Amino acid sequence: MNFNSTGNNFGSGSISFKSHQEENYIVLNAKFKYNPASPAYQAADVLEIYVPDLSIERSAIAGVFMRFVDRRDSYGYVWDNSGGTVLKSWVKDKNTLCIEKLTNFDEKGEITIYVLTLYTMLGRGSKPIKGTRTGLQIIQEEQYLYWRSESFFATFDHWVFLNMLFSSCSYTYRGQPWECGIEGFPTDVTADLPFCGGGNQYNPTVDGISEAHIENGVFTCPQRTDGFEDTGHDPFVFAFLVRDN
Amino acid sequence: MIALPSIAFGGFSGSAKGVTARYQDGRSILSLKSYPTGETTIAQLAHRTNFSKINKSYKLLSDAQMRAWENLAEHASGQSVFGQKAKLTGANLYLRLNSNRVMAGETMLLDAPQQIAYVPEVEYDSVSVTPQLIVFGGIKHQTAPYKMVVKMSGSQSRGVSNGWSKTVIISSEVEDDWGEADVTALYLKTIGVEPTPGQKVFIECYWLDTSNGFTGQVFRDSVIVTGESSYTPRKRVTMDRLNPDYELHVSSIDVDFSSGGPVVQYDVMCLGHSNIASSEAYLDQDLPEELRGTSWALGRGNGEDGKLVAQSYVMWLYGAYYSTPARITFAHRGGYYVKPTEVFGPGVIY
Repeated sequence: MNFNSTGNNFGSGSISFKSHQEENYIVLNAKFKYNPASPAYQAADVLEIYVPDLSIERSAIAGVFMRFVDRRDSYGYVWDNSGGTVLKSWVKDKNTLCIEKLTNFDEKGEITIYVLTLYTMLGRGSKPIKGTRTGLQIIQEEQYLYWRSESFFATFDHWVFLNMLFSSCSYTYRGQPWECGIEGFPTDVTADLPFCGGGNQYNPTVDGISEAHIENGVFTCPQRTDGFEDTGHDPFVFAFLVRDN
Repeated sequence: MIALPSIAFGGFSGSAKGVTARYQDGRSILSLKSYPTGETTIAQLAHRTNFSKINKSYKLLSDAQMRAWENLAEHASGQSVFGQKAKLTGANLYLRLNSNRVMAGETMLLDAPQQIAYVPEVEYDSVSVTPQLIVFGGIKHQTAPYKMVVKMSGSQSRGVSNGWSKTVIISSEVEDDWGEADVTALYLKTIGVEPTPGQKVFIECYWLDTSNGFTGQVFRDSVIVTGESSYTPRKRVTMDRLNPDYELHVSSIDVDFSSGGPVVQYDVMCLGHSNIASSEAYLDQDLPEELRGTSWALGRGNGEDGKLVAQSYVMWLYGAYYSTPARITFAHRGGYYVKPTEVFGPGVIY
Protein backbone atom coordinates (compact mmCIF):
# COMPACT_ATOMS: atom_id res chain seq x y z
CA MET A 1 0.00 0.00 0.00
CA ASN A 2 1.37 3.41 -0.91
CA PHE A 3 0.53 6.57 0.98
CA ASN A 4 1.73 10.12 1.44
CA SER A 5 2.58 11.77 4.71
CA THR A 6 0.10 14.33 5.98
CA GLY A 7 2.79 16.57 7.48
CA ASN A 8 6.00 16.74 9.45
CA ASN A 9 7.65 18.93 12.05
CA PHE A 10 10.95 19.56 10.25
CA GLY A 11 9.97 21.62 7.26
CA SER A 12 9.97 19.04 4.48
CA GLY A 13 7.27 18.57 1.90
CA SER A 14 5.01 15.59 1.47
CA ILE A 15 6.78 12.23 1.74
CA SER A 16 5.72 9.23 -0.35
CA PHE A 17 5.81 5.84 1.32
CA LYS A 18 5.55 2.32 0.06
CA SER A 19 4.35 0.04 2.79
CA HIS A 20 3.36 -3.44 3.69
CA GLN A 21 1.31 -3.52 6.86
CA GLU A 22 0.50 -6.47 9.07
CA GLU A 23 -1.23 -6.61 12.43
CA ASN A 24 2.07 -6.80 14.34
CA TYR A 25 4.64 -5.20 12.04
CA ILE A 26 5.00 -2.91 9.05
CA VAL A 27 7.65 -2.44 6.39
CA LEU A 28 8.10 1.11 5.15
CA ASN A 29 10.16 2.42 2.22
CA ALA A 30 10.71 6.11 1.58
CA LYS A 31 13.47 8.49 0.57
CA PHE A 32 13.29 12.17 1.38
CA LYS A 33 15.42 15.18 2.21
CA TYR A 34 15.41 17.85 4.86
CA ASN A 35 17.27 21.07 5.30
CA PRO A 36 18.95 21.47 8.70
CA ALA A 37 18.75 25.26 8.28
CA SER A 38 14.96 25.09 8.36
CA PRO A 39 13.51 26.81 11.47
CA ALA A 40 11.03 23.95 11.83
CA TYR A 41 13.87 21.41 11.92
CA GLN A 42 15.80 23.49 14.39
CA ALA A 43 12.80 23.74 16.70
CA ALA A 44 12.17 19.99 16.69
CA ASP A 45 13.54 17.64 19.36
CA VAL A 46 12.57 14.53 17.43
CA LEU A 47 11.72 14.43 13.74
CA GLU A 48 8.08 13.49 13.38
CA ILE A 49 6.32 12.47 10.19
CA TYR A 50 2.54 12.43 10.33
CA VAL A 51 0.91 9.66 8.36
CA PRO A 52 -2.53 8.16 7.76
CA ASP A 53 -3.53 5.34 10.14
CA LEU A 54 -0.91 2.61 10.35
CA SER A 55 -1.83 -0.94 11.25
CA ILE A 56 0.32 -0.87 14.40
CA GLU A 57 -0.10 1.41 17.40
CA ARG A 58 3.60 1.70 18.21
CA SER A 59 6.85 -0.09 17.52
CA ALA A 60 10.18 -0.98 18.97
CA ILE A 61 13.25 0.94 17.83
CA ALA A 62 14.43 0.38 14.27
CA GLY A 63 17.06 2.03 12.07
CA VAL A 64 16.91 4.38 9.09
CA PHE A 65 19.91 5.72 7.16
CA MET A 66 20.94 9.36 6.88
CA ARG A 67 23.33 10.58 4.20
CA PHE A 68 25.01 13.92 3.57
CA VAL A 69 26.82 14.91 0.40
CA ASP A 70 30.37 16.18 0.77
CA ARG A 71 32.28 16.63 -2.48
CA ARG A 72 35.54 18.58 -2.54
CA ASP A 73 37.59 19.79 -5.45
CA SER A 74 41.24 18.88 -5.06
CA TYR A 75 43.49 20.02 -7.92
CA GLY A 76 40.78 19.28 -10.46
CA TYR A 77 39.73 15.97 -8.92
CA VAL A 78 36.36 15.80 -7.19
CA TRP A 79 36.93 14.03 -3.89
CA ASP A 80 33.66 12.46 -2.77
CA ASN A 81 33.46 12.24 1.02
CA SER A 82 29.71 11.78 1.25
CA GLY A 83 28.80 9.79 4.30
CA GLY A 84 26.27 9.19 7.01
CA THR A 85 25.08 6.76 9.60
CA VAL A 86 22.06 5.02 11.08
CA LEU A 87 19.40 6.89 13.01
CA LYS A 88 16.96 5.38 15.44
CA SER A 89 13.37 5.41 14.31
CA TRP A 90 10.11 4.19 15.75
CA VAL A 91 6.35 4.36 15.36
CA LYS A 92 5.10 6.52 18.19
CA ASP A 93 1.43 6.01 17.47
CA LYS A 94 -0.79 5.06 14.55
CA ASN A 95 -0.22 8.42 12.91
CA THR A 96 3.34 9.38 13.85
CA LEU A 97 6.65 8.03 12.64
CA CYS A 98 9.60 9.34 14.65
CA ILE A 99 13.26 9.68 13.69
CA GLU A 100 16.03 10.55 16.10
CA LYS A 101 17.45 14.04 15.55
CA LEU A 102 21.22 13.84 15.22
CA THR A 103 22.72 17.26 14.73
CA ASN A 104 26.35 16.20 14.17
CA PHE A 105 26.17 16.75 10.42
CA ASP A 106 23.82 19.73 10.21
CA GLU A 107 26.55 21.93 8.76
CA LYS A 108 26.77 19.63 5.75
CA GLY A 109 23.55 21.01 4.34
CA GLU A 110 20.75 18.92 2.91
CA ILE A 111 20.37 15.47 4.47
CA THR A 112 18.81 12.48 2.74
CA ILE A 113 16.92 9.91 4.79
CA TYR A 114 16.37 6.38 3.53
CA VAL A 115 13.58 4.49 5.27
CA LEU A 116 14.08 0.83 4.32
CA THR A 117 12.81 -0.43 7.57
CA LEU A 118 10.69 -2.97 9.37
CA TYR A 119 8.93 -1.70 12.47
CA THR A 120 7.71 -4.39 14.83
CA MET A 121 5.55 -4.55 17.88
CA LEU A 122 6.57 -6.80 20.78
CA GLY A 123 4.67 -8.95 23.23
CA ARG A 124 2.80 -10.46 20.27
CA GLY A 125 3.80 -14.09 20.29
CA SER A 126 5.98 -16.72 21.81
CA LYS A 127 8.39 -17.18 18.95
CA PRO A 128 9.49 -15.42 15.79
CA ILE A 129 8.74 -16.81 12.34
CA LYS A 130 11.91 -17.97 10.63
CA GLY A 131 12.70 -16.82 7.11
CA THR A 132 14.43 -18.68 4.33
CA ARG A 133 17.88 -17.53 3.31
CA THR A 134 18.79 -17.41 -0.36
CA GLY A 135 22.49 -16.95 -0.95
CA LEU A 136 23.43 -14.16 -3.33
CA GLN A 137 24.21 -15.41 -6.85
CA ILE A 138 25.32 -12.71 -9.26
CA ILE A 139 24.45 -12.63 -12.94
CA GLN A 140 27.04 -10.78 -15.05
CA GLU A 141 28.28 -11.47 -18.57
CA GLU A 142 31.77 -10.77 -17.43
CA GLN A 143 31.97 -11.11 -13.70
CA TYR A 144 33.73 -8.19 -12.08
CA LEU A 145 31.79 -7.81 -8.83
CA TYR A 146 32.30 -10.20 -5.95
CA TRP A 147 30.23 -10.41 -2.79
CA ARG A 148 30.99 -12.17 0.45
CA SER A 149 29.43 -15.58 0.89
CA GLU A 150 27.28 -14.38 3.78
CA SER A 151 25.34 -12.10 1.40
CA PHE A 152 21.75 -13.22 1.03
CA PHE A 153 18.15 -12.19 0.70
CA ALA A 154 15.05 -13.57 2.37
CA THR A 155 11.85 -13.31 0.41
CA PHE A 156 8.43 -12.96 1.98
CA ASP A 157 5.09 -12.61 0.20
CA HIS A 158 5.05 -8.82 0.24
CA TRP A 159 8.58 -7.76 1.12
CA VAL A 160 12.15 -8.92 0.98
CA PHE A 161 15.16 -8.47 3.24
CA LEU A 162 18.42 -7.82 1.40
CA ASN A 163 21.83 -8.18 3.04
CA MET A 164 24.83 -7.56 0.76
CA LEU A 165 28.47 -7.56 1.84
CA PHE A 166 30.90 -6.28 -0.75
CA SER A 167 34.04 -8.32 -1.33
CA SER A 168 35.90 -6.93 -4.34
CA CYS A 169 35.76 -5.57 -7.86
CA SER A 170 38.02 -6.33 -10.81
CA TYR A 171 40.58 -3.56 -11.19
CA THR A 172 39.40 -2.31 -14.58
CA TYR A 173 35.87 -1.75 -13.33
CA ARG A 174 36.74 0.11 -10.17
CA GLY A 175 35.84 3.52 -11.55
CA GLN A 176 33.01 2.31 -13.78
CA PRO A 177 29.29 2.20 -13.11
CA TRP A 178 28.41 -1.18 -11.64
CA GLU A 179 25.54 -3.40 -12.63
CA CYS A 180 24.70 -6.97 -11.77
CA GLY A 181 21.63 -9.14 -11.75
CA ILE A 182 20.71 -11.02 -8.59
CA GLU A 183 19.50 -14.49 -9.36
CA GLY A 184 16.06 -15.22 -7.94
CA PHE A 185 15.61 -11.77 -6.46
CA PRO A 186 12.01 -10.57 -6.74
CA THR A 187 11.58 -8.38 -9.81
CA ASP A 188 8.84 -6.32 -8.17
CA VAL A 189 11.20 -4.34 -5.93
CA THR A 190 12.37 -0.83 -6.84
CA ALA A 191 14.36 1.27 -4.39
CA ASP A 192 17.37 3.51 -3.90
CA LEU A 193 19.80 1.88 -1.48
CA PRO A 194 22.39 3.44 0.78
CA PHE A 195 25.62 1.53 0.15
CA CYS A 196 27.39 2.01 3.49
CA GLY A 197 31.12 1.61 4.00
CA GLY A 198 34.48 2.75 2.82
CA GLY A 199 36.79 5.15 4.59
CA ASN A 200 35.87 8.80 4.89
CA GLN A 201 38.98 10.93 5.18
CA TYR A 202 37.26 14.25 5.84
CA ASN A 203 34.50 12.87 8.04
CA PRO A 204 36.29 10.29 10.16
CA THR A 205 33.45 9.76 12.64
CA VAL A 206 31.50 7.95 9.92
CA ASP A 207 32.09 5.79 6.87
CA GLY A 208 31.26 6.79 3.34
CA ILE A 209 27.81 6.17 1.96
CA SER A 210 27.31 5.75 -1.78
CA GLU A 211 23.93 5.38 -3.40
CA ALA A 212 22.90 2.24 -5.23
CA HIS A 213 19.63 1.19 -6.79
CA ILE A 214 17.72 -2.02 -7.26
CA GLU A 215 15.05 -2.56 -9.88
CA ASN A 216 13.76 -5.56 -11.77
CA GLY A 217 16.23 -7.79 -9.91
CA VAL A 218 19.19 -5.72 -11.08
CA PHE A 219 21.56 -3.95 -8.68
CA THR A 220 23.26 -0.79 -9.99
CA CYS A 221 25.69 1.64 -8.44
CA PRO A 222 26.85 4.46 -10.76
CA GLN A 223 29.73 5.60 -8.54
CA ARG A 224 31.24 5.08 -5.14
CA THR A 225 32.63 7.47 -2.58
CA ASP A 226 36.39 7.85 -2.38
CA GLY A 227 37.86 5.43 0.10
CA PHE A 228 35.21 2.83 -0.82
CA GLU A 229 37.68 -0.02 -0.87
CA ASP A 230 39.68 1.04 2.18
CA THR A 231 40.63 -1.96 4.26
CA GLY A 232 38.43 -2.55 7.30
CA HIS A 233 35.51 -0.36 6.17
CA ASP A 234 33.54 -3.23 4.63
CA PRO A 235 30.74 -1.86 2.42
CA PHE A 236 27.30 -3.33 2.93
CA VAL A 237 23.62 -2.99 2.05
CA PHE A 238 20.97 -3.71 4.67
CA ALA A 239 17.38 -3.15 3.61
CA PHE A 240 13.82 -4.29 4.19
CA LEU A 241 12.17 -3.72 0.80
CA VAL A 242 8.48 -3.58 -0.05
CA ARG A 243 7.40 -5.56 -3.10
CA ASP A 244 5.01 -3.96 -5.60
CA ASN A 245 2.55 -6.83 -5.57
CA MET B 1 -19.59 12.90 60.97
CA ILE B 2 -23.00 13.81 62.39
CA ALA B 3 -25.88 15.44 60.45
CA LEU B 4 -28.46 17.29 62.54
CA PRO B 5 -31.90 18.66 61.59
CA SER B 6 -30.51 22.08 62.50
CA ILE B 7 -32.50 23.96 65.03
CA ALA B 8 -29.69 24.75 67.35
CA PHE B 9 -27.04 25.12 64.68
CA GLY B 10 -29.06 26.43 61.69
CA GLY B 11 -26.94 28.92 59.79
CA PHE B 12 -23.95 28.38 62.01
CA SER B 13 -20.63 27.54 60.52
CA GLY B 14 -17.12 27.51 61.87
CA SER B 15 -14.89 25.55 64.19
CA ALA B 16 -14.71 25.43 67.91
CA LYS B 17 -12.20 23.19 69.61
CA GLY B 18 -12.38 19.84 67.82
CA VAL B 19 -15.80 20.44 66.22
CA THR B 20 -16.55 22.00 62.83
CA ALA B 21 -20.05 23.02 61.73
CA ARG B 22 -21.11 23.78 58.18
CA TYR B 23 -24.36 24.21 56.29
CA GLN B 24 -24.75 22.27 53.08
CA ASP B 25 -27.72 21.25 50.93
CA GLY B 26 -30.24 22.27 53.57
CA ARG B 27 -28.46 20.39 56.29
CA SER B 28 -26.16 21.43 59.06
CA ILE B 29 -23.28 19.08 59.44
CA LEU B 30 -21.06 18.75 62.43
CA SER B 31 -17.80 16.97 62.06
CA LEU B 32 -15.16 16.04 64.54
CA LYS B 33 -11.57 16.68 63.70
CA SER B 34 -9.90 13.39 63.03
CA TYR B 35 -6.41 12.49 64.04
CA PRO B 36 -4.25 9.87 62.35
CA THR B 37 -3.85 6.65 64.27
CA GLY B 38 -1.07 4.13 64.02
CA GLU B 39 2.46 4.67 62.88
CA THR B 40 2.78 7.25 60.14
CA THR B 41 4.69 6.16 57.07
CA ILE B 42 6.94 8.43 55.03
CA ALA B 43 4.52 8.14 52.13
CA GLN B 44 1.63 9.24 54.34
CA LEU B 45 3.62 12.19 55.64
CA ALA B 46 4.50 13.25 52.12
CA HIS B 47 0.89 12.91 51.05
CA ARG B 48 -0.37 14.99 53.97
CA THR B 49 2.23 17.66 53.28
CA ASN B 50 1.21 17.82 49.63
CA PHE B 51 -2.45 17.91 50.64
CA SER B 52 -1.83 20.84 52.91
CA LYS B 53 0.25 22.70 50.31
CA ILE B 54 -2.35 22.24 47.60
CA ASN B 55 -5.14 23.39 49.92
CA LYS B 56 -3.24 26.51 50.85
CA SER B 57 -2.34 27.29 47.26
CA TYR B 58 -6.02 27.38 46.27
CA LYS B 59 -6.52 30.38 48.52
CA LEU B 60 -3.84 32.24 46.58
CA LEU B 61 -5.62 31.88 43.23
CA SER B 62 -7.20 34.91 41.59
CA ASP B 63 -10.96 35.28 41.58
CA ALA B 64 -11.05 34.41 37.89
CA GLN B 65 -9.08 31.24 38.46
CA MET B 66 -11.36 30.19 41.32
CA ARG B 67 -14.42 30.88 39.17
CA ALA B 68 -12.99 28.67 36.46
CA TRP B 69 -12.47 25.84 38.96
CA GLU B 70 -16.03 26.32 40.27
CA ASN B 71 -17.40 26.20 36.72
CA LEU B 72 -15.52 23.03 35.94
CA ALA B 73 -16.61 21.48 39.24
CA GLU B 74 -20.25 22.05 38.30
CA HIS B 75 -19.73 19.88 35.23
CA ALA B 76 -17.70 17.34 37.15
CA SER B 77 -20.40 16.79 39.75
CA GLY B 78 -22.80 14.01 38.93
CA GLN B 79 -20.33 12.31 36.63
CA SER B 80 -18.33 9.29 37.59
CA VAL B 81 -15.08 11.01 36.92
CA PHE B 82 -13.48 9.65 40.04
CA GLY B 83 -15.14 6.31 40.21
CA GLN B 84 -17.99 7.56 42.37
CA LYS B 85 -20.64 10.16 41.88
CA ALA B 86 -19.90 13.19 43.98
CA LYS B 87 -20.83 16.83 44.16
CA LEU B 88 -17.68 18.84 44.08
CA THR B 89 -16.72 22.39 44.83
CA GLY B 90 -14.02 24.16 42.87
CA ALA B 91 -11.68 23.70 45.80
CA ASN B 92 -12.47 19.97 45.93
CA LEU B 93 -11.71 19.55 42.26
CA TYR B 94 -8.56 21.64 42.51
CA LEU B 95 -7.37 19.46 45.37
CA ARG B 96 -8.20 16.19 43.64
CA LEU B 97 -6.65 16.96 40.30
CA ASN B 98 -3.57 18.52 41.79
CA SER B 99 -3.10 15.71 44.31
CA ASN B 100 -3.06 13.33 41.36
CA ARG B 101 -0.66 15.54 39.43
CA VAL B 102 1.71 15.89 42.36
CA MET B 103 1.53 12.13 42.99
CA ALA B 104 2.63 11.64 39.36
CA GLY B 105 5.53 14.04 39.84
CA GLU B 106 3.94 16.93 37.97
CA THR B 107 3.60 20.54 39.08
CA MET B 108 0.29 21.94 40.27
CA LEU B 109 -2.24 23.28 37.78
CA LEU B 110 -3.32 26.77 38.79
CA ASP B 111 -5.67 27.27 35.86
CA ALA B 112 -8.59 24.87 35.59
CA PRO B 113 -8.54 22.54 32.59
CA GLN B 114 -10.85 23.67 29.79
CA GLN B 115 -13.08 20.66 30.20
CA ILE B 116 -13.43 17.33 31.89
CA ALA B 117 -11.12 14.88 30.18
CA TYR B 118 -12.14 11.40 29.16
CA VAL B 119 -9.81 8.80 30.62
CA PRO B 120 -10.03 5.17 29.46
CA GLU B 121 -10.59 2.23 31.77
CA VAL B 122 -7.79 -0.17 32.57
CA GLU B 123 -7.94 -3.43 30.63
CA TYR B 124 -5.64 -6.41 31.06
CA ASP B 125 -5.73 -10.12 30.33
CA SER B 126 -4.32 -11.53 33.54
CA VAL B 127 -2.70 -10.82 36.85
CA SER B 128 -0.53 -13.37 38.55
CA VAL B 129 0.38 -13.08 42.22
CA THR B 130 2.93 -15.38 43.81
CA PRO B 131 5.42 -14.74 46.61
CA GLN B 132 8.14 -14.25 43.97
CA LEU B 133 6.32 -12.58 41.11
CA ILE B 134 3.47 -10.12 40.82
CA VAL B 135 2.81 -9.32 37.19
CA PHE B 136 0.03 -7.95 35.02
CA GLY B 137 -0.15 -9.36 31.51
CA GLY B 138 -1.85 -8.18 28.35
CA ILE B 139 -2.39 -4.61 29.50
CA LYS B 140 -4.07 -2.56 26.80
CA HIS B 141 -1.44 0.10 26.34
CA GLN B 142 -2.19 3.78 26.72
CA THR B 143 0.35 6.32 25.55
CA ALA B 144 1.64 9.24 27.56
CA PRO B 145 0.40 11.23 29.40
CA TYR B 146 -1.47 8.24 30.85
CA LYS B 147 0.07 6.31 33.70
CA MET B 148 -1.50 3.40 35.51
CA VAL B 149 -2.19 3.72 39.22
CA VAL B 150 -2.12 0.34 40.96
CA LYS B 151 -3.53 -0.21 44.43
CA MET B 152 -3.18 -3.57 46.13
CA SER B 153 -3.94 -5.05 49.51
CA GLY B 154 -1.87 -7.30 51.67
CA SER B 155 -2.91 -10.96 51.83
CA GLN B 156 -6.47 -11.42 53.10
CA SER B 157 -8.38 -14.53 54.04
CA ARG B 158 -9.79 -16.06 50.86
CA GLY B 159 -13.26 -15.83 52.46
CA VAL B 160 -13.16 -12.03 52.38
CA SER B 161 -15.35 -10.86 49.50
CA ASN B 162 -14.90 -7.12 49.79
CA GLY B 163 -11.43 -6.04 50.75
CA TRP B 164 -10.82 -3.15 48.39
CA SER B 165 -10.86 -0.69 51.28
CA LYS B 166 -7.62 -2.30 52.37
CA THR B 167 -5.80 -1.45 49.16
CA VAL B 168 -3.02 1.11 49.14
CA ILE B 169 -1.25 2.70 46.23
CA ILE B 170 1.80 0.68 45.32
CA SER B 171 2.58 2.87 42.33
CA SER B 172 1.05 5.83 40.57
CA GLU B 173 3.23 5.57 37.50
CA VAL B 174 3.13 2.04 36.20
CA GLU B 175 4.00 1.92 32.51
CA ASP B 176 3.52 -1.38 30.78
CA ASP B 177 6.40 -2.92 28.90
CA TRP B 178 4.70 -4.22 25.78
CA GLY B 179 1.64 -5.24 27.81
CA GLU B 180 3.53 -6.52 30.85
CA ALA B 181 3.94 -4.78 34.18
CA ASP B 182 6.01 -6.51 36.83
CA VAL B 183 5.11 -4.80 40.12
CA THR B 184 6.81 -7.28 42.46
CA ALA B 185 9.37 -4.84 43.81
CA LEU B 186 6.81 -2.06 44.18
CA TYR B 187 4.47 -4.39 46.08
CA LEU B 188 7.17 -5.60 48.46
CA LYS B 189 8.37 -2.05 49.07
CA THR B 190 4.88 -0.82 49.92
CA ILE B 191 3.24 -3.80 51.61
CA GLY B 192 6.42 -5.05 53.21
CA VAL B 193 5.70 -8.79 53.08
CA GLU B 194 5.34 -11.29 50.29
CA PRO B 195 1.82 -12.38 49.43
CA THR B 196 0.81 -15.65 51.07
CA PRO B 197 -0.18 -18.59 48.86
CA GLY B 198 -3.83 -19.54 49.28
CA GLN B 199 -4.86 -16.09 50.46
CA LYS B 200 -6.51 -13.33 48.49
CA VAL B 201 -5.13 -10.01 47.30
CA PHE B 202 -7.44 -7.16 46.27
CA ILE B 203 -6.52 -4.90 43.40
CA GLU B 204 -7.70 -1.54 42.11
CA CYS B 205 -6.33 0.03 38.94
CA TYR B 206 -7.06 3.15 36.98
CA TRP B 207 -5.38 5.35 34.40
CA LEU B 208 -4.24 8.77 35.47
CA ASP B 209 -3.96 11.50 32.85
CA THR B 210 -0.88 13.24 34.20
CA SER B 211 -1.46 16.29 32.02
CA ASN B 212 -4.55 17.34 33.95
CA GLY B 213 -4.95 14.99 36.92
CA PHE B 214 -8.17 13.35 35.74
CA THR B 215 -8.53 9.64 36.39
CA GLY B 216 -10.50 6.88 34.75
CA GLN B 217 -12.96 4.46 36.24
CA VAL B 218 -11.49 2.26 38.92
CA PHE B 219 -11.14 -1.34 37.78
CA ARG B 220 -11.49 -3.76 40.70
CA ASP B 221 -10.12 -7.25 40.79
CA SER B 222 -9.07 -9.88 43.29
CA VAL B 223 -6.81 -12.85 42.90
CA ILE B 224 -5.87 -15.90 44.94
CA VAL B 225 -2.13 -16.03 45.58
CA THR B 226 -0.54 -19.13 44.11
CA GLY B 227 2.72 -20.84 45.01
CA GLU B 228 4.01 -20.78 41.46
CA SER B 229 3.17 -18.41 38.67
CA SER B 230 1.13 -19.64 35.73
CA TYR B 231 2.14 -16.54 33.85
CA THR B 232 4.71 -16.96 31.08
CA PRO B 233 6.70 -13.81 30.56
CA ARG B 234 7.62 -13.01 26.97
CA LYS B 235 10.83 -14.59 25.76
CA ARG B 236 13.77 -12.24 26.11
CA VAL B 237 17.43 -12.25 26.98
CA THR B 238 18.24 -9.46 29.41
CA MET B 239 21.20 -8.75 31.69
CA ASP B 240 19.69 -10.69 34.58
CA ARG B 241 19.46 -13.78 32.39
CA LEU B 242 23.15 -13.95 31.57
CA ASN B 243 25.37 -16.64 33.03
CA PRO B 244 27.49 -15.04 35.77
CA ASP B 245 30.24 -17.64 35.35
CA TYR B 246 31.30 -16.19 32.00
CA GLU B 247 33.01 -12.97 31.02
CA LEU B 248 30.59 -10.27 29.90
CA HIS B 249 31.12 -8.69 26.50
CA VAL B 250 28.01 -6.55 26.60
CA SER B 251 27.13 -3.72 28.95
CA SER B 252 23.43 -4.00 28.24
CA ILE B 253 21.34 -6.52 26.38
CA ASP B 254 17.72 -6.95 25.42
CA VAL B 255 17.05 -9.56 22.79
CA ASP B 256 13.31 -9.96 22.41
CA PHE B 257 11.70 -12.91 20.65
CA SER B 258 8.09 -11.80 21.10
CA SER B 259 7.40 -10.04 17.79
CA GLY B 260 5.16 -12.87 16.68
CA GLY B 261 6.53 -12.00 13.23
CA PRO B 262 9.61 -12.69 11.16
CA VAL B 263 12.14 -10.78 13.27
CA VAL B 264 14.01 -10.77 16.56
CA GLN B 265 14.36 -7.36 18.19
CA TYR B 266 17.82 -6.29 19.43
CA ASP B 267 19.00 -3.58 21.78
CA VAL B 268 22.52 -4.50 22.83
CA MET B 269 25.67 -2.57 23.68
CA CYS B 270 28.51 -4.71 22.40
CA LEU B 271 31.88 -4.11 24.03
CA GLY B 272 33.88 -6.58 21.99
CA HIS B 273 36.65 -8.67 23.47
CA SER B 274 40.31 -9.43 22.95
CA ASN B 275 41.20 -8.65 19.35
CA ILE B 276 38.10 -10.22 17.92
CA ALA B 277 35.39 -8.12 16.31
CA SER B 278 32.62 -9.82 18.21
CA SER B 279 30.93 -10.00 21.58
CA GLU B 280 29.47 -13.01 23.30
CA ALA B 281 26.70 -13.30 25.84
CA TYR B 282 26.31 -16.62 27.70
CA LEU B 283 22.84 -17.37 28.97
CA ASP B 284 21.81 -18.89 32.27
CA GLN B 285 19.16 -21.03 30.57
CA ASP B 286 19.08 -22.95 27.34
CA LEU B 287 17.72 -21.32 24.22
CA PRO B 288 14.78 -23.33 22.85
CA GLU B 289 15.24 -24.89 19.45
CA GLU B 290 12.76 -22.50 17.81
CA LEU B 291 14.83 -19.52 18.92
CA ARG B 292 18.17 -20.76 17.65
CA GLY B 293 19.49 -19.61 14.33
CA THR B 294 21.24 -16.79 12.50
CA SER B 295 20.08 -13.21 12.41
CA TRP B 296 21.29 -9.78 11.21
CA ALA B 297 20.84 -6.29 12.59
CA LEU B 298 22.23 -2.78 12.26
CA GLY B 299 24.78 -1.25 14.59
CA ARG B 300 26.15 2.20 15.27
CA GLY B 301 29.43 3.15 16.91
CA ASN B 302 29.02 4.45 20.42
CA GLY B 303 32.55 5.07 21.63
CA GLU B 304 34.17 7.98 23.42
CA ASP B 305 36.00 8.75 20.19
CA GLY B 306 32.69 9.98 18.80
CA LYS B 307 32.57 7.48 15.96
CA LEU B 308 29.02 6.94 14.74
CA VAL B 309 29.84 4.46 12.01
CA ALA B 310 26.94 2.47 10.57
CA GLN B 311 27.63 -1.26 10.78
CA SER B 312 25.95 -4.56 10.20
CA TYR B 313 26.16 -7.44 12.63
CA VAL B 314 25.44 -11.12 12.36
CA MET B 315 24.07 -12.86 15.42
CA TRP B 316 24.43 -16.55 16.04
CA LEU B 317 21.97 -17.86 18.57
CA TYR B 318 23.25 -21.16 19.95
CA GLY B 319 21.64 -23.65 22.27
CA ALA B 320 23.57 -25.30 25.09
CA TYR B 321 26.09 -27.86 23.92
CA TYR B 322 27.57 -30.30 26.42
CA SER B 323 29.14 -28.14 29.12
CA THR B 324 28.89 -24.90 27.15
CA PRO B 325 25.77 -22.91 27.99
CA ALA B 326 23.53 -21.33 25.39
CA ARG B 327 25.00 -18.14 23.98
CA ILE B 328 24.50 -15.36 21.49
CA THR B 329 27.47 -14.16 19.46
CA PHE B 330 27.35 -10.66 17.98
CA ALA B 331 29.88 -10.57 15.16
CA HIS B 332 30.76 -7.42 13.27
CA ARG B 333 30.40 -7.65 9.50
CA GLY B 334 29.71 -4.41 7.57
CA GLY B 335 31.31 -0.97 8.09
CA TYR B 336 34.26 0.00 10.22
CA TYR B 337 34.41 -1.88 13.53
CA VAL B 338 33.94 0.36 16.55
CA LYS B 339 34.08 -0.54 20.24
CA PRO B 340 31.58 -0.19 21.77
CA THR B 341 28.78 -0.46 19.24
CA GLU B 342 25.07 -0.36 19.86
CA VAL B 343 23.31 -3.10 17.91
CA PHE B 344 19.64 -2.29 17.59
CA GLY B 345 16.47 -2.86 15.64
CA PRO B 346 14.80 -5.86 14.09
CA GLY B 347 16.67 -8.71 12.47
CA VAL B 348 15.34 -11.43 10.23
CA ILE B 349 16.09 -14.87 11.70
CA TYR B 350 16.66 -18.07 9.74
